[in-house]
Parts: sequence; structure tokens; C-alpha cells
Amino acid sequence: MKSSARRLLSSDSRYVIVVLTPIVLLIALFIYYPAVDTFGASLTNRNLRIRRPPKAVGLDNYVKLVQDDEFWEVTGRSFKVVLITLPLEMAVAFGIAMLLNQRFPGRGLVRTLAILPWMLPGVVNGFLWGWLLNGEYGALNGFLYQFGLISEYQYWLREPDHQLFWVCVVQTWTRYAFPTIILLAGLQSIPDDLFDAAKVDGANAPQRVRYITLPLLLPSFGIALVVEFIAAFQIFDVVWTLTAGGSAGGAMNPFTKTLMLYNYELVFRDLRIGLGAALSYIILVMSLAVGVIFVMRVYNQGVQEQ
Amino acid sequence: MSFGLRGKERIRLGVIYVLCAIVLVWALAPIYWVAVSSISTRRELYSQPYKVWFPSEPTFESYHTIFTQGAKFRDGSFSPTAHLMSAGLRNSVIISVGSAAIVTLLATGAGYAFARMRFRGKNAIFLLIMLMLPLPIWVSLIALFFIMSRLELVDTLLGLVLIFVTLLLPLAVWMMTTFVRDIPSEIQDAARVDGADRWRILYSIVLPLARPGMVAVFLVAMLTTWNNFLIPLIFSRSDDSQPLTIVLTLFIGQYEVAWEDMSAAAVVTMLPPFLMALFFQRYLVRGLTMGAVK
Repeated sequence: MKSSARRLLSSDSRYVIVVLTPIVLLIALFIYYPAVDTFGASLTNRNLRIRRPPKAVGLDNYVKLVQDDEFWEVTGRSFKVVLITLPLEMAVAFGIAMLLNQRFPGRGLVRTLAILPWMLPGVVNGFLWGWLLNGEYGALNGFLYQFGLISEYQYWLREPDHQLFWVCVVQTWTRYAFPTIILLAGLQSIPDDLFDAAKVDGANAPQRVRYITLPLLLPSFGIALVVEFIAAFQIFDVVWTLTAGGSAGGAMNPFTKTLMLYNYELVFRDLRIGLGAALSYIILVMSLAVGVIFVMRVYNQGVQEQ
Repeated sequence: MSFGLRGKERIRLGVIYVLCAIVLVWALAPIYWVAVSSISTRRELYSQPYKVWFPSEPTFESYHTIFTQGAKFRDGSFSPTAHLMSAGLRNSVIISVGSAAIVTLLATGAGYAFARMRFRGKNAIFLLIMLMLPLPIWVSLIALFFIMSRLELVDTLLGLVLIFVTLLLPLAVWMMTTFVRDIPSEIQDAARVDGADRWRILYSIVLPLARPGMVAVFLVAMLTTWNNFLIPLIFSRSDDSQPLTIVLTLFIGQYEVAWEDMSAAAVVTMLPPFLMALFFQRYLVRGLTMGAVK
């Protein structure tokens, strides 16, 4: 019986089946099926706090969210994080990439150390900066004080606006290494003769950056921006330990509540599964839409400039 | 003339090293400060307005405290969470090493199939796996929680390993497919002609040559799993399965836990990724950028 089954399948097919079955099963069961299931839940009023069988409500959850003030507040905050973080990150990354593109002894070591923060856990990064910025004993206060830049210790994280700004700074610190690497690779692919020719034609250094480096880096910037947009838009870990203040089950700090934190709260704190599921699909669509628009614009601009 | 040139070069290098110093302060200062905090005595750590930038009498007491007694509250009592750190360390190691090992094995077998074999449905299956990469997994996680609780896999190490393996698969398979494709196929073809089956070729010809690729996949998988916070936040409930990233947030949540203890916990949590980044950066950068750029 067994041997006849074996004969039916060639040894190649058996290899493929053995190797791919676990992978396909895991992905189907853990990713695709739940994704569909979540969408199904978004069309019901499922709420684990209320003891009643969930009822189909069509698109009610989506309508409810779009009419809800908190939803727009949180969405606006997420876009604010993106709009502060991306320019900051790109500026830092471009500067470091330009520096690392120079030839000097010790460059490898500097490169290795410069991209370390990227490889650390986001929750640790949030904690590191929270401690650095601490109003009573923080190292930033001590440092600025000792250099005479402040005359008394500041509570850096007290004002809601400041909190969001520091969230963006820590997100920048966590992520700048990736755009740096992408831009550095882009820089290294620009042929030296271009600069030499420009020098002969009398272009000074800023002009060379403006008319050669930046246009040729446009595709690299595009890649970096799309990836970093998703990272900033779906920010979670860093906020959790820096300013969320809800770790022990307490209320979440409303001033840095971005989309992902809001969604986590809806689903896993408030247990409003239907509403939370709808929000997760709205986040998905927004991420993809902005990503696509972004790519198109950067791409078109690149085409025009050439 | 030559002296002038050398002088110019010296200025250039001088400027470069000053800029490097600024970059390194930006990148490393927060890490340095938490390391210093974790080995400082309480008196020096809380000194102000002048801070002590390196402890005059370094001590490992905080590490001892968090591993044997739970974190110390400011009033001197101990949190009732003894052994949270040891459990967290154990869980982190099991989850990250386990997930990385399994995903590397699965991805190597599949990578060989995708790179070197022809079979029906190959493109469809490859697409099915790769489509996951750009999709935010968040939409799956909500319903997955209920599936996992029906399977009684919530708050278990096995459950976490299964989830991480699944999430890591697309990147791992894609990396291994590229790596195997880059191995010259002449020897494999010759072995086929001699009648070796696929397992034999995989084991004795592909594996030895694909080892650098497998190391890269393993390291990337281990780093990503170790650093992850959202998955255990949803799927862990107790020290049965909580990794260090969760334990750290529990300490931070308890408002009155001493900063030197939290710093020690943070250092333990980031030490493995830190060392990996220092010594295996080439592998990690390759894998991590591949995943993001495709």
C-alpha cells in the first residue's frame, strides 16, 4: 500500500510536498485565514464585554469610526508623527551617509557603531530615552546644565506637544540607520567622473550636491521614504515605553495615542472586536494607499527630472 | 606643494573625525548612559544638578537584585515578581533560538525547491508566501488571537514559536531562494545524472555551500524575534512565556521601581542584539535591508 503510493509520486514531487506543506499550512492558518476572519468580524458588532451573540451589522463599524472624533484625532496624530519623523530621519540619514561616503581610516568601525540603535529592541529604545529625558535625574538635564545651556532642570516630557515631538525623535533614533544604508549604497553607485566633470565646469560643492547627488539619489530616497513611512505610521513599541504609560493595565496616555495604540486599546483592552477589526482594515488601506501614492509621485518626479 | 596638500588632507580628516564624533555621540550616548546607570550606586546615579558620568565604584548589585529578588521599589521593598527576569531570559532564548532554527530549516528546503526545481503551482505558492511581506500583519493578529486561544496555545512558548516562524517565513524563504540560486549548479546537475535524489543533493552539496546564507537567515530571524514586543504583548499572559521585552515593560509600568534596576533590565534585554550587531553586522544588514527593499 505504502510502496504503491510511493511509486505514484516521483521522488521530486515527494520532496516538494514534504518541504512546502508545513510552510503553506502555517501561512494559510496563521495569516490568510485570520486576515479574512478579521474582516468578517469587522462586519459584526462583536464585543466581548457584552454577553450577546454577535450580529451582522454591515459597514456600521466603518461608518461609526469615520464619524468618531477620536478616530480623526488619532489619525491626525499618526500623520503628524510621520510628517515630523520623515524629514528628521532623512536629514540625519543623508548627513551620515555623506560622511560615511568619504574615505578615511576607521570608516568601517564608525559605520558599524553608527547603525547600532537600529538593531536594538524598540521598547528598550523608548526606555533609554525616557530615562535620558527624565526631569529629575535625566542625563540630558545634567549635560545641558554642566555646559551652562540651561539654568535649571527641565521636564522634557511634561507638555503633550513635547511628548509627541520626543516620540518622533526616538523613532528617528531607532530607524535612521536603514535610510542611511540605502542612501550610502545609492551614493556609492554614483560614478566619480560625474563629480570630476562638474568640478571642471566650475560647480562648487553645494551645487554638486544639489544638481548631481540629490537627483541621482531620488530612487534611494523613494525606497527609504516608503519603508520609513510604514514604520512611523504604525509606530508602537517606542511610544509604549516612552510616553504611553499604560503598561500595567492603566489608562493609556491620550496625548501620544497613535493609530496602532488606539487599535490595540479597542481590541485588547475594551474588547470591542468588531470596531477594532474595522479599524485594522482602515489602517491597512491607509498604509497601502499612501505607500502607492508616494511611490508614484517620487517615480514621476524622477522621470521628469531626467 | 606636497606639504600644502598634506596639510589640506589633514584638515579634511580633522573635519571628518569631528563629524564622526558627533555621529557617535548621537548613536551611542543613550546606550552608554543606561549601561552606566545599571552599574552606578544609587547615591551617584541620583546626584544633581551635576551628574557623575562614570561611577567611582561600579557595582553589579542591580543585576543581582533583578535576577534574584525582582526589582527593588524606591522604598526599599521588593516587587512580588521574583524570578521574572530569569524566566524572561529563558523564554527569550527559547523563543528566538527555536524560531530561528526552525525557520532556517524550512526556508533552506523550500529555497532549494524554488531555486532549482520545476513543479506545478510553483509561482502561485511563491507569490502566496511573498504577498505576506508588504501586508501589515496586524489584520491577521486580531482573529489569530481567538484561533490560538481555541487551540490552547495562548501563553505558551510553542504558540509564540509557531507565530514567529510564520511571520519570518517570507523573508527567510526569499533569502534562501536567492542564496541557493547563486550557488553554481554544475555539481548538482552532475549528481542528478548520477542518480542522487533531492534530499541527498540538498544535504551533501547545497548545505555546505549555502551555509553563509543559512547563518544570515538564522541571525536575522533571531534578532527580529528577540526584539519583538507586539506579539508577546498579545499572546503572553504570564512568566510561562513572557520574554524580556515584556518583563522590561512590566518593570517600567511599576512606577516606583528604582532606575538602576530598570537600567540593568534594559541592558540585559538589549545585550544579545547589541553583540550580534557588533560582530555579525554584515549578515544582519544584508538580511534586514533585503526584507525591507525586496
